Amino acid sequence: MISLTSYAFVSMALFSIGVIGVIARRNVFVIYMSIEMMLNGINLFLVTFARYHFSMDPQVVTVMVIAIAAAEAAIFLSVIILLYRSRKSLDTDIFTTLTQGEKS
Amino acid sequence: MIDLIFIALAFSAISGAIAMIVYANPMYSALGVLISMLSVAGMFALLNATFLFLVQIIVYAGAIMTLILFILMFLNIKEEDLPKEPKKYTLIALGAVVMIPLNILILKAVAKLPAKDFNITNSDFGDIKPIGIQLYNNWLLAFELISILLLVALIGSVVLAKKRSSKITNTGDEA
Repeated sequence: MISLTSYAFVSMALFSIGVIGVIARRNVFVIYMSIEMMLNGINLFLVTFARYHFSMDPQVVTVMVIAIAAAEAAIFLSVIILLYRSRKSLDTDIFTTLTQGEKS
Repeated sequence: MIDLIFIALAFSAISGAIAMIVYANPMYSALGVLISMLSVAGMFALLNATFLFLVQIIVYAGAIMTLILFILMFLNIKEEDLPKEPKKYTLIALGAVVMIPLNILILKAVAKLPAKDFNITNSDFGDIKPIGIQLYNNWLLAFELISILLLVALIGSVVLAKKRSSKITNTGDEA
């Protein structure tokens, strides 16, 4: 019997794996995909509660989260391309452009 | 039957997400995310959200992940460009330990809620029409703000791309 807790377990697992990816990995692409994974977990939670309360509002919020994720993808990937072109690396430790100021 | 489908979808969603944080090559990570997103789309279908099922497949799995895979292939990343991650598994274990209390809290809170029937119904709940009515009746301001946000993202990525091309001509044939 699938219940609210089963869906909550899956969405919390996806969210936690996203947080762990942001903590543990140093590849910018994997960090970006971890953020997407967190958004996905929360989307699943929202849709579960939409079904639970038989209300449409959480699904509308989910549509907006997906739209924000699309906007984020456009900006994030163009920034990654710029950084990779100038530094030739995907390591987050190398991208210290914002803290170095004029030196870079 | 629905239980079996749910278990299969949950298994592939979580294993795709684990594949994402374990593989060193970002291409395999992207494929793991793709599997995970398609499984989440299947869960949306189980939860009677038919419109979001389609949006998840078209926008997330179709557009965003294709964009990521395209960029990965476009950059032509070599093995030596990948960052060295000697402490990866230690940090993953540390992150898991950090996340356990939050998980226990949420799951305990959710388990206390009264149980409800989660079977698929035949009503038009989750169809595109009620979502559209709700969106344009109660969420009109948020909808307009989202459209401005997408416009800003569009302009921003165009500006960033333009800057890159001028930089390449400045630094010569380094790229």
